Amino acid sequence: MDSRYEVEFKVRGDDFLAAGEASNQIKETLIMLGVPSPISRRASVITYEAEMNLVIHSGGGILRAIITPEKLTIEAKDQGPGIPDLDLAMREGFSTASDKVREMGFGAGMGLPNIKRNSDCLQIDSLIGKGTILTATVFFHQGEGNRG
Amino acid sequence: MTVTSLIEALGLDVHHGGNGNVHVSRGVVGDLLSFVMGGAPEGAVWVTLQTHVNIAAVAVLKEIPLVILASGRIPDAELLERCRKEGISIATASDSPFDLCGALHDLGLKG
Ligand SMILES: Nc1ncnc2c1ncn2[C@@H]1O[C@H](COP(=O)(O)OP(=O)(O)OP(=O)(O)O)[C@@H](O)[C@H]1O
Ligand SMILES: [Mg+2]
Repeated sequence: MDSRYEVEFKVRGDDFLAAGEASNQIKETLIMLGVPSPISRRASVITYEAEMNLVIHSGGGILRAIITPEKLTIEAKDQGPGIPDLDLAMREGFSTASDKVREMGFGAGMGLPNIKRNSDCLQIDSLIGKGTILTATVFFHQGEGNRG
Repeated sequence: MTVTSLIEALGLDVHHGGNGNVHVSRGVVGDLLSFVMGGAPEGAVWVTLQTHVNIAAVAVLKEIPLVILASGRIPDAELLERCRKEGISIATASDSPFDLCGALHDLGLKG
């Protein structure tokens, strides 16, 4: 593997037809690079949940995956409304999703907890009215981070 | 067992048949996408009432070879199209999710 590999996708807000496409392409990239499947599976949960939050909550944004020999970094960046209370947002079951998207099976309030569970490191920076940057890291070798 | 033999055993109505030779030993049931994303075993059979295109994205990422729509639900045109494109088998049954899961359990699939 080259020392650094990066892919970036524009995710459109409320585009449920294209939703999941970026995550799928990132998964294919990881497989192409020979990333072991336990890692790419964790990555899929992270990218999917981050991508759907861009579609549903922020009016879209950018989803990026950066792969080095040591780790995979997934970054979701948006200029949406921001998250007023991060502790609350991280709680399983908390959701501000509309009735319309709940009917589709979104809005369980499990996306961010799923991301946390599958990352070795998770950082969320959010400013109300400015946007949110989510950065999740998965290490390829054990013992390089604190899982959970 | 294979997807094909499972479809036959349950008498499912196949709307699109993907690779029927894939072996399945696990199952998951649910209509909340993040619940399935976070909790489904890889390669599981998925029983759901959801009929829209977004379940295909979850199926692809979780390597789910067969989605079964329960209680007489019919897949939306976009969902069917996406399943064709991604090679996911999609089938329907008039049985409830409960009865389908019972039958899958009887066939030896685990959660
Ligand atoms: N990028 C974002 N911009 C603004 N708000 C967000 C963003 N991501 C998450 N949130 C807020 O955090 C809440 C919890 O997010 P989480 O992904 O855990 O659940 P959800 O998206 O509501 O439901 P689920 O992911 O289970 O479908 C959301 O309901 C929303 O209020
Ligand atoms: Mg979410």
